[in-house]
Amino acid sequence: MTLWDMATKQTGRIVDLSQELGTHISRRLREMGFEEGQLITCIRRSPLQGPLVVQIRDSVYSLEQSVARNIKLQII
Amino acid sequence: MNRIILVGKPNSGKSLLFNQLTGLRQKVANFPGVTVELKTGQFADYEVVDFPGAYSLKTLSKDEEIAIEKLHAAMQDEKTTVIACILDATRLERSLTFGLQVQALAKKQNKALVFVLNMVDELQSFDHHIDEKQLSEQLGSPVYAISAKTLLGINELKDGLKHIASHAHDYLPLKGTDSSLDVLKQSRDLAQQFAIQADLVLKKQNRIDSFLLNSVFGGLAFLVIMFLLFQSIFTWAAPIMDAVEFAIGWLAQKITTSMEPGILPDFINGALFGGLGSFLVFVPQIMVLTLVIGLLEDSGYLARAALICHKPLSYFGLSGRSFIPYLSGHACAIPAILSARTIESPRKRLITMMTIPLMSCSARLPVYALLIAVLIPEKSYLGGLVNLQGIAFFALYMFGILMALMVSLVVNKFKANDDKLDDMPFILELPAYRLPHWKPLFQKVLNSGKHFVRRAAPIIFMVTIAIWILGYFPQSDEGLQASWLGQLGQWIEPVFEPLGLDWRYGIAIIMSFLAREVFVGALGTLFGIEGADENISGLAANIQADGLTFGAGMGLLLFYVVALQCVATVATLKAETGSRKIAWGLFVAYGLLAYLLAFVTVRLF
Ligand SMILES: Nc1nc2c(ncn2[C@@H]2O[C@H](COP(=O)(O)OP(=O)(O)O)[C@@H](O)[C@H]2O)c(=O)[nH]1
Repeated sequence: MTLWDMATKQTGRIVDLSQELGTHISRRLREMGFEEGQLITCIRRSPLQGPLVVQIRDSVYSLEQSVARNIKLQII
Repeated sequence: MNRIILVGKPNSGKSLLFNQLTGLRQKVANFPGVTVELKTGQFADYEVVDFPGAYSLKTLSKDEEIAIEKLHAAMQDEKTTVIACILDATRLERSLTFGLQVQALAKKQNKALVFVLNMVDELQSFDHHIDEKQLSEQLGSPVYAISAKTLLGINELKDGLKHIASHAHDYLPLKGTDSSLDVLKQSRDLAQQFAIQADLVLKKQNRIDSFLLNSVFGGLAFLVIMFLLFQSIFTWAAPIMDAVEFAIGWLAQKITTSMEPGILPDFINGALFGGLGSFLVFVPQIMVLTLVIGLLEDSGYLARAALICHKPLSYFGLSGRSFIPYLSGHACAIPAILSARTIESPRKRLITMMTIPLMSCSARLPVYALLIAVLIPEKSYLGGLVNLQGIAFFALYMFGILMALMVSLVVNKFKANDDKLDDMPFILELPAYRLPHWKPLFQKVLNSGKHFVRRAAPIIFMVTIAIWILGYFPQSDEGLQASWLGQLGQWIEPVFEPLGLDWRYGIAIIMSFLAREVFVGALGTLFGIEGADENISGLAANIQADGLTFGAGMGLLLFYVVALQCVATVATLKAETGSRKIAWGLFVAYGLLAYLLAFVTVRLF
């Protein structure tokens, strides 16, 4: 599944960043903490398919669908 | 002068530290066409340069590229002696990711580097302590633990900076790895060893968010905050604006009464104080707006507002971050266009800047007030709760916003395949909620006023003088009507005739290309009413008696909503988009659109 499929309060482990993101954005995401193997928690979903809010490591980010659906993870 | 440069992740407290180190005197350097802004100040015998906050040395957009290019250039510069890298102690891992990249660069360029561990006051409130000696040993560079807010450790930092700057060679980084994988791993390891537990720090922020981002309460809170912001632009700024207006009038009188009547006092009164004065009146409003937006930004709410607006605005090809520029556009387009700098995607920033002039800025207010008084009866319903004229005002504002969204939609379609404007996704960090500090805010407010005057004054000055000369010469008893401007007005009357307007409106419209509110004064002069600005109802009665048709009046109103009648805005657009074609193209396009709307409206009613 992908980050976009997560429900509020669910926690998962990042498996892969899809090629579709491109090398630059993938690298930036890793620098922001979205690394393979890291735990990520969904804090909030917004109505109307708006950006979701996640906590990863020491930071909280908001991501829109086009990014979130390209981050693959495993629910634990 | 030797230089110390400040770098760090966004929201690490860099602005505050910069303000605590340097005094009130700051310089801001901008680079046309991009968001990059370098602030320079002085600390002891050193020049301090504040670089834009960044997550990485590896760039994503053109703006980041230019900022990082400047950083590379500064690093190579001989004058640069110390790099101070700010770390947010409550987000140690993320701060270190960037910090370690900077360290590697400093090592390569042989520059002294020092880490400033900021926000330790927050750590203390959680009873957490970071051993700076040990951290320093592991990093291979000095570390100063401080709080830019409570000033804890600031003296040690100041002494340290001076010492390091004068013994730079002893503080070249010993460690520093170029591999990005190593950087990530090292920041993680160091964070594991030193950092406070993330859940502890984030608990408060997440609790506030569960209210402010809630679908119901969050939306309400958002509306209330925006309502207050809007109010502040108009109500809080009003007394200051009146005071400025009064001061200018008083000054004009003081200066001109001591003079012999003639061209000089007329010029001073009409062109200098009349033209420039009507523009200086907006400075307080812009400063109040900057203050309120600055409060929202430094407290951390702005990121939430962008998040809430992102989805609705994305339907129109805009970003959540387009929201603040749109909002500021209701005070004045110039600071609004500048504030579009925060938009992550170049393409969305361009669309936002292009549509900001459609927001009803306050220069349109007097025009709206006059024409609404002429056209709409003063009726109230529901015991005074709903006022017909009030509704008309609201409708005009909404019409402007609607037009902006429509234009965004169209431009978005047109520019769909423009490769140069490669799109950036919306990835936004939600920073901690913090109490803003007055120092950076004060600085920001001051700069906004200075910036506005510096940008707009020269061009407004030139146009004022040109229009004044056209309206003043040749002198005769018939006044404005016989002047060059009056002749011009009659000559171009055929242009305005299809809109149901005669030459007097034509002149007033032409004159208002200087600044829209001039329309009221000019029309007042033409209708033979002195001081029409204060006496809108008198002028309105005159216009009514003169027989302006409802359709022509409505058309004129819509014309004023859409037309880009502001040379200062065009100049700002040119500077910010880096394209003369876009700026003047918009000027023409909005002019034609406004004309078309008025043309259609006259025929509808
Ligand atoms: N508690 C605390 N707050 C701080 C400290 N330094 C900065 N802040 C606040 O953190 C917020 C972000 O700081 P700012 O200087 O704008 O960060 P920048 O984005 O790095 O320039 C502001 O509200 C500051 O007042 C600090 O040492 N302690």
